[in-house]
Amino acid sequence: MLTSLMPWLLAVAILLAVVGALRRARLWLRGRASNVNVWAGIRAMPKRYLVDLHHVVERDRYISNTHVATAGGFVLASVLAILLHGFAWESKLLAWLLLAASGAMLIGAVRVAKRRQSPPDRLSKGAWMRLPKSLMVFAISFLILSLPAVGLLPEGFGGVVLAALLTAGIVWGLAEMFIGMTWGGPMKHAFAGALHLAFHRRSERFGGGRSTGLKALNFDDAQAPLGVEKPTDFTWNQLLGFDACVQCGRCEAVCPAFAAGQPLNPKKLIQDMVVGLAGGSDASYSGSPYPGKPLGEHKGGPFQAIVAREGKGLLDADTLWACTTCRACVEECPMMIEHVDAIVDMRRHLTLERGQTPNKGAEVLENLIATDNPGGFNPGSRMNWAADLNLPILADVKRTDVLLWLGDGAFDMRNQRTLRAFIKVLRSAGVQFAVLGNEERDSGDVARRLGDEATFQHLAKLNIHTLQQYSFRSIVTCDPHSFHVLKNEYPELGGEYVVYHHTTFMERLYRDKQLSLKDWVGGRVTYHDPCYLGRYNGEYDAPRQLLDALGIDRVEMTRSGFRSRCCGGGGGAPITDIPGKQRIPDMRMDDIKASGANVVAVGCPQCTAMLEGVVEPRPQVLDIAELVAQSLIEEETRA
Amino acid sequence: MSRNLARLHSSDEVSVTVLVSIGKHPVTGRLRRADQDARALEMALGLSDSEPRVIYAGPLNDSTEPALRGYLGMGVSELKVLRQSEQNDIVPALSGFLDNSPSSLILCGSRAELGESSGLVPYQLADALGYTLVSNVAVIEEVTATLAVVLQALPRGQRRRIEVVLPAILAVDTASPVARQVAYAKASRGFINCVVTDAAEDDATEQWHYQPARKRPKRLKIIKATSARDRFKAAAAKAEGTGGQVLTSVSAEEGAVAILKVLKEEGVLKT
Amino acid sequence: MNDIKRRDPRSEWILRNRLHPEHSTYALTHATGIMSEWIGPTGVKRKNPHLVGFIGPSGLRRIDRSGLQSSQQTSVKVQVDIDSRRFIQINAPSDYIVVVPELPGGRFSAQDKDLFGLAQQLASKHSETTAVLGVILSPLKDTALGEIGMDRVYFADASEFSDYDPEAHLQQLTAIEREFNPLYWLFPEQTSISADLGRRLSVKLKVRATSNVWQLDLDTLIATCRASGGTSDLYRPVSRVILALAECAEPVSDTRHEAKPIDQAINAVDVIKRIRNLGAVSVDPAKVALSEAEFILSGGKGIANWDAFHELARRLGATEGASRVAVDDGHMPRDRQVGATGTWVTARVYLAIGISGAIQHLQGIQACDKVIAINTDPGCDMIKRADLAVIVDSSELIQSMLDQLQQRQEEVQNVA
Repeated sequence: MLTSLMPWLLAVAILLAVVGALRRARLWLRGRASNVNVWAGIRAMPKRYLVDLHHVVERDRYISNTHVATAGGFVLASVLAILLHGFAWESKLLAWLLLAASGAMLIGAVRVAKRRQSPPDRLSKGAWMRLPKSLMVFAISFLILSLPAVGLLPEGFGGVVLAALLTAGIVWGLAEMFIGMTWGGPMKHAFAGALHLAFHRRSERFGGGRSTGLKALNFDDAQAPLGVEKPTDFTWNQLLGFDACVQCGRCEAVCPAFAAGQPLNPKKLIQDMVVGLAGGSDASYSGSPYPGKPLGEHKGGPFQAIVAREGKGLLDADTLWACTTCRACVEECPMMIEHVDAIVDMRRHLTLERGQTPNKGAEVLENLIATDNPGGFNPGSRMNWAADLNLPILADVKRTDVLLWLGDGAFDMRNQRTLRAFIKVLRSAGVQFAVLGNEERDSGDVARRLGDEATFQHLAKLNIHTLQQYSFRSIVTCDPHSFHVLKNEYPELGGEYVVYHHTTFMERLYRDKQLSLKDWVGGRVTYHDPCYLGRYNGEYDAPRQLLDALGIDRVEMTRSGFRSRCCGGGGGAPITDIPGKQRIPDMRMDDIKASGANVVAVGCPQCTAMLEGVVEPRPQVLDIAELVAQSLIEEETRA
Repeated sequence: MSRNLARLHSSDEVSVTVLVSIGKHPVTGRLRRADQDARALEMALGLSDSEPRVIYAGPLNDSTEPALRGYLGMGVSELKVLRQSEQNDIVPALSGFLDNSPSSLILCGSRAELGESSGLVPYQLADALGYTLVSNVAVIEEVTATLAVVLQALPRGQRRRIEVVLPAILAVDTASPVARQVAYAKASRGFINCVVTDAAEDDATEQWHYQPARKRPKRLKIIKATSARDRFKAAAAKAEGTGGQVLTSVSAEEGAVAILKVLKEEGVLKT
Repeated sequence: MNDIKRRDPRSEWILRNRLHPEHSTYALTHATGIMSEWIGPTGVKRKNPHLVGFIGPSGLRRIDRSGLQSSQQTSVKVQVDIDSRRFIQINAPSDYIVVVPELPGGRFSAQDKDLFGLAQQLASKHSETTAVLGVILSPLKDTALGEIGMDRVYFADASEFSDYDPEAHLQQLTAIEREFNPLYWLFPEQTSISADLGRRLSVKLKVRATSNVWQLDLDTLIATCRASGGTSDLYRPVSRVILALAECAEPVSDTRHEAKPIDQAINAVDVIKRIRNLGAVSVDPAKVALSEAEFILSGGKGIANWDAFHELARRLGATEGASRVAVDDGHMPRDRQVGATGTWVTARVYLAIGISGAIQHLQGIQACDKVIAINTDPGCDMIKRADLAVIVDSSELIQSMLDQLQQRQEEVQNVA
């Protein structure tokens, strides 16, 4: 009986799955067009899946092994089941293989079930608690179904009872695994995920590459809405990406805003986008909510505004403004979903279309437009701090080796100390350098993260125009934000430069023996990775090598390197200032204290400002340039 | 101050006009929306759901247009421009236009950020149109078909309530709520509509000339020296008050007495 | 005051003892009808050398001009100072210059006094017989009108007007214009009543007011005006209506004037009023915007009991402020943060409790006149900035201040 039913069951499941897939694809295709190479993507997909995705999953060994067993077993079992039972091939070998595949899948399913016994907070519950059972039912059903075929059990074993049970199991399994995959069950991640990997908007990220710069907004069409107001304003492959989310909550676990009790949870944000994609409310979401925002109050649809103009929409604006753009969620996401892109897209709408940048946001943007710096300082006083340093100005010397990009820290008394230290190092190494002086403008970083793409592009174009007039080999800056923008975001607007962060540059100078350093004495030092240097640009080593070169007793925090926790200063977060239960820099300072260090080395003016804002007593905050400058062996040339 | 702005009753058909001008950033001198005019527009936008009429009289060119678009960026779809040259007196143009298409409530900033900044335009307009004028308006509390109740800003955050018969011109003070952010998209999509008006040369300004603002000299302490010795002493005296008084090892009571004494001397303690 | 004549044995003894070091000064003040200094008929100060100085160790009279001995003579000197001011009386003025002071709180502000100074300068430049006429439109508490520089004064019937009644006031001014046809009208600029009146008058008289004047060249009569929103100076011939900023001239100090009420009748025309003054609105100090507040009580990390802090602010009638840390910790809302990253304040008195004074905070209170700091750490930067600092536990001090305020209030109630 079962043998005759199986082809029909499989056919119906596959048919329903295909219908579901088409329906889902139609939802995605409501999004805006995107420039994706479809065929290259599909060709590259298996490798992306097996290599790139697996690399990220493997950060959790247990679940990576589990996933290999379950997913591998399932894919193999499905193919074999279709061949054996759908097309009624007679092959002992294939039957053995099916047995093995469903066995592997069973082992995986048991491990999933074990993880789910007392699941960590970051995992979603609800339908996801059903998944291990469905997996087991699917695996056991096909396992038992294969036993007679390989001859381990006699044909007709168990009689009608077993046949009925098996039929029920197979229907359940097929419903969850095949139909659920495209109709919105937990298994949707496999289907959407595979396509998402194929059509990812940042294909450069695969194969060990890096793509972190925000994508420029096109202002050519004056009537086109700017940014993302409703779910369909995302590009179709962004929508597809949201659908790929497995709700593993790794993003939630690393999000500094979530930990600080601010109303942001990257996982919930992506799930809200999925809700918006299909229409509905967040009542059925089964993970941790945004801190302080109960579930069930927000709802939306594909053509409704995500942030409602009145009342509640899909999410509230403060959720979007709580993000520090630290990229920890993107770094952790096994599905390589781009949370930060989505958040900035929605911010662009709020700022450009509605003019609703919260708190000090409006003032900062106004300052950037009127004075080229966020503080509203007189742009003619940018070099006042260096009146005694005699810095060569590029407008006078026209050409130089190294262009020192000062950044807006030039207006900040604390950062001026860092700049002085770095200039001392440059002079000691005999580097030929110059500065732009009053011609320099804000790089546009803050404007862009606050969603004001217009001001960003305006500043960027002016800066690029200024830089075009001079000749230099490379740009060096003490500010990772400027570094990132100059290096990764200006090329799209026509400015391609060789850019170094000052730690990288100093490390090269040291390696080239242009710096003579003595040991730095002052206690234990830990290093805080700035997000825009580490995760955004992959520079984790140079700062550490410099510290080692200074003979420093270096200790690492639990969260360092690519898992470094944000200081809370990025993405305009100190400007939009969304309240939470605690402050992000306080949490980071606790990390620093826990490491036992009495000095924290930093490489970013934002991090310095945020960490020094923590109430004393606390470890001292010093820029690496300051540490190096203190350890220079000055040559006694004057005698 | 709280933004408890009155909403117009929909039955009362009070048409609101906002007069705007070109502003100038105090540090860089770049042109932008004028702060007080933007506050006036903010007030008008809070008054009713229907859009206020926004009028600008003055030169329109490549440098002033982006500044004017700042007002459009606050959410109005159209800006009427009475095109004038820089030398023109804008009052005849404005009064002529407003005479033909009157408005019962006209809001504007107290003084311009370019040119003379005399703050006379609202007065001259009120005179020419026969409107009532109230200056230093901080909040509009209530508007009916014939009356408006407003709060006038006094120094140090104090307020005075004034009832004014319409039609009226309200000159808005910097104590009024801050203008909303300029939304780039609205600014670039809004319409700038030129209206043809007469132009009148402002001939009073012939002998005037402008210079960048000089720093005002700090007033010196005047020494009324009646004798040579006093004059000498005053000239040779050291600057006083280099450091404050620090009370250490005092009890809380003594400290409180000392502080209350100073507060009393400074006149901030009312009891 | 007191009819009982009291003897002062000590001074009697000093007066008897010619070798006592203070003998000469006592002799000076007690000698009846004899002054050591006076103003001669030509206005030059005269001194009687026999009455000043002291007997030196060699028995000779010494006159010490270093001033070390003169501190005892203050009572005499004040007398001399008052007398030294020239008294100016104009019997039949040929021209008038009118000043309309702002009179905040019924008293002359510093700016009002500066304007009278400017008016007197203009008057003396014009002719000997040009009189400065002060127009008092609201109830006045100050009495020293002549010393401010008024030759004539006109009191509007104060009972008829409230402090803000621009339409009626304008009628008064136009009546004065008709009656006296003044050379100049002077109004204090950027005030809430007078500057408004000045503009109304200028429009009414069809005179283009010279506004924002901060300097006036008396020879050329070219005014320097702050224009373009404060970013440029406009040089222009002064017109009849002048709106002048504070410190436009030195106030009158070395002359006294008659301040004679004018006797002509001023008949102002009645108008139908379209502006009605509904009176001052009581503004809760706590709701006043930080940047506008006159008196700020600011709390920081050192505050243990925030309820007591709020109570103190209420009792003092102060606007509340806070340091960044206090805001971050959630004790105060963000709009109450003082400092470069919060609000730059302009308070006249700034009372900081438990704030150590981060550089951004000190930047934000640059414009404050009087800073009072309460902190337990005598080395912190706020103490260095403060005009008065008390090193004491903040909780105790707040409690103590509350007790004393309570005590005062009870005293006031008992008296009343």
